[in-house]
Amino acid sequence: MDDLELSYKEAKSPFHRMDPFSKTLYVLAVSTTAIFNSSLYVGIGLFVLTFSCAAFFSGVSLRAYWKLGKVVLPFILILTFVFPFFYAGQLSIGSEDIAIRTPIKDLSWAALGFGALLGLRFLAIGFAGLTYAFTTHPSDLVQAFSRRGLNYRLVHAPVLGLVLFPSFLQLGRDISTTQRIRDLGADLHPIARKWASLKHLAFSMLLMGLRRGQTQAMALDIRGYGAHKTRTFLRPIPSSVAGRVFGWTCFVLAVTYLVLQIGNLAGHLQSDLGG
Amino acid sequence: MPEPAFVVEDYSFWFKLPTGERRLALDSVSFSVEKGSFVLILGESGSGKSTLALNLVGIYPDYFGGFNEGRILVNHRTKGLVNRRELDRGERFQTVNMLFQNPEDQIVTLTVEEEVAFALENYLVRPSDIRPRAARALDQVGLQGFKDRSTLKLSGGEKQRVALAAMLAMEPSVLILDEPTSNLDPAGTEEVLDAIRLVREQVDITLVIVEHEVDRIFHQVDEVLLVDGLAVHGPESPREFLAKRGMRVRDEMGLWIPQASEVSLELARRGVSLSRTHLTGEELIDDLGAAGVREPAAPPPERNVTGPPRLVAAAEPVITVRGVGFSYPTKSDVLSDVDLDIHKGELLAIVGQNGSGKSTLASCLMGLFEPTSGTVTVDGKRTGDYKFADLARRVAYIFQVPEKQFIRKSVYEEMAHGLKALKVPTEELERRVDAVLKTVRLDERKDSSPFLLSHGQKRRLSVACMVISEPEVVILDEPTFGQDWRQAGRLMDFMRRLADDGAAVTFITHDMRLVAEYADRCVAMSDGRIIFEGGPHELFSSPDVLTAAKLKAPPVFDFSKELLGEPTLATTELIDQLEARFGRPGAVVQRS
Repeated sequence: MDDLELSYKEAKSPFHRMDPFSKTLYVLAVSTTAIFNSSLYVGIGLFVLTFSCAAFFSGVSLRAYWKLGKVVLPFILILTFVFPFFYAGQLSIGSEDIAIRTPIKDLSWAALGFGALLGLRFLAIGFAGLTYAFTTHPSDLVQAFSRRGLNYRLVHAPVLGLVLFPSFLQLGRDISTTQRIRDLGADLHPIARKWASLKHLAFSMLLMGLRRGQTQAMALDIRGYGAHKTRTFLRPIPSSVAGRVFGWTCFVLAVTYLVLQIGNLAGHLQSDLGG
Repeated sequence: MPEPAFVVEDYSFWFKLPTGERRLALDSVSFSVEKGSFVLILGESGSGKSTLALNLVGIYPDYFGGFNEGRILVNHRTKGLVNRRELDRGERFQTVNMLFQNPEDQIVTLTVEEEVAFALENYLVRPSDIRPRAARALDQVGLQGFKDRSTLKLSGGEKQRVALAAMLAMEPSVLILDEPTSNLDPAGTEEVLDAIRLVREQVDITLVIVEHEVDRIFHQVDEVLLVDGLAVHGPESPREFLAKRGMRVRDEMGLWIPQASEVSLELARRGVSLSRTHLTGEELIDDLGAAGVREPAAPPPERNVTGPPRLVAAAEPVITVRGVGFSYPTKSDVLSDVDLDIHKGELLAIVGQNGSGKSTLASCLMGLFEPTSGTVTVDGKRTGDYKFADLARRVAYIFQVPEKQFIRKSVYEEMAHGLKALKVPTEELERRVDAVLKTVRLDERKDSSPFLLSHGQKRRLSVACMVISEPEVVILDEPTFGQDWRQAGRLMDFMRRLADDGAAVTFITHDMRLVAEYADRCVAMSDGRIIFEGGPHELFSSPDVLTAAKLKAPPVFDFSKELLGEPTLATTELIDQLEARFGRPGAVVQRS
């Protein structure tokens, strides 16, 4: 099931022993810090942290990360190498000295730092997200949020998506194959042909997907899905003190950093306005 | 007096049409089913078997809408016989529940134990009670040791058994099985039917099954219900059911019946006096043997399975496959060193269990996949050298699920599509479309949306719209899937005519009766390799091949061998040979 590489991978690692809520705090902390960060040092720190967590504490081989990472890496590289050309004096570390001369535009250290920051930002978010996906059993996720008052059907939806996605994808592939076999839109202009095939694909997948969805909904209903507001869980939810401490520490550090960042931003804004 | 599991009293059901009108589906139906019995629901394709089953569970009208009158009483474990309406949803589904056709539609979690526990968790059963119930249910279907397995990595048969265990864990009084083997290969079918037998032996439960695999199930059931028109007849014992209706159930109603029963009923139709209607080959052998109408069995033919395959002499090959290998980026050797010729004028069957490489080979034949090694040529030209659309006109592929094939808004446009691509003049196009529409009996539905046809009509349209442009090769994936005996026969007769007119017809199938009756030549695949090539007779006489490809000869092949000393592929052939060898066995078969 190659389409399901994002799914949970059984192992006994510190991250597997963490409860999903603590892991959610970790991912939230990394994501918000990465997004609002403007320091290359912090960016490097985040990358090292998330990479270390992935490599040494998730129990999942880096090969599994690479399998998915290689899909998004080109986009990260594009951001890293293209965006410095559009850099317009954004605050970052390094001097304003020319670092690289290119035929298009000379790049300053600050511009390069900006590119690196972008790359590190997405790498950190990617590593943290994948660590979460690889080490969090969907049932634990449902259970963790259900216990915190969320409707379990709502949280179970992603699990259903994970289980049903491959067959939906296969349906799409089969319909596309039909379009090729039957040469749909052969007499049309290439753009009109693309539109015709997209229209047909959307209609057929919607129709057949809905029919299948109806059967699946029925299969869920007759097994008591939604019969009560809550449910019991066979699987004991993992939990560790170290995991909770780690999750909350990340979260507190992230909030502190955000507050400082906002303070800095407000100071700059004040001096700009006051100046 | 036996206790009923459920009682249907003067029950009618109407579908609610999109226009708001009603369409009657069940008309004043009354019957009752005994507690602990095993009941088979029969009926021709589209007769309403599933509608009846869904009404018994309460999915109609509560979930899918519709209108009903009358009562369905169910035997609740503590409350006794009560109107289904008086039970809340949880109680109702824990009393009568249903297993669907496609296991993929029912599996909603990632591990086997979670899947079996899912319903119990929803009904707030304590985890300490769930675990033993889940383990017991897995035992009952023969899946001990599977609890930690990923549901995504199970075979079709295993998935269906997990779905069955998930139902059993709820401990329902009545379980309805809606064609539980229709999406499975022969090995998966065998697994599920064995699991049902195990359940029957171990669990106090009433089982109601809708099933086409009648050869395996007919003699096991206690009673048969027949859905015919808007009525439900029965329940009757299987023997009584057949004796009362004779060959009419197959020839007029289009029902699949066991091959042993076909022989028995056909002999009776030809005037042979039989003491009973036979349900299994063993019964037939016993009775005809006792009457002296039996030859000693010939020794099994010797055959070297790994030796060179026997090629059937035929016309020039239209497709030539040489040394073809194929690997997906994530799975290697899906096909290995495949050599095959496909000839004009022949019906070629490709058989093997799921994952053996049949569909990948078909994709290579029609140019969808470029082989990793070796070559596939169509009319002497490599598939990769064709423009795909040109190749698709020569090699037509017909999907197992017809709906996947429809790309136009109406039946007429669907049919005309291929001819328009060939730039056939309008007048000739209209003439050809009208003629084919008449042939496949869709002329009255030509303005309908293809998606609104019945299953049988969709299948006919999917075939017709691919063959109207007269391709040289037609490849069909499970052509008789979901078809009753009559529809399957008509479709295969149509394929025979296409082959006789010069097309090469290749069909991928799990249905060994179809292979025996229609294939000129068979190819058996296992682990991406062709392990057998030859006639159906030879295939079914090769136990090693059958074991390796996880196939099973049709029952007539085995019991005819006992009766005649040599096997036959079809029941008609057996009856003709019985007549030829022994004269009309009429009087001698009468048992005291």
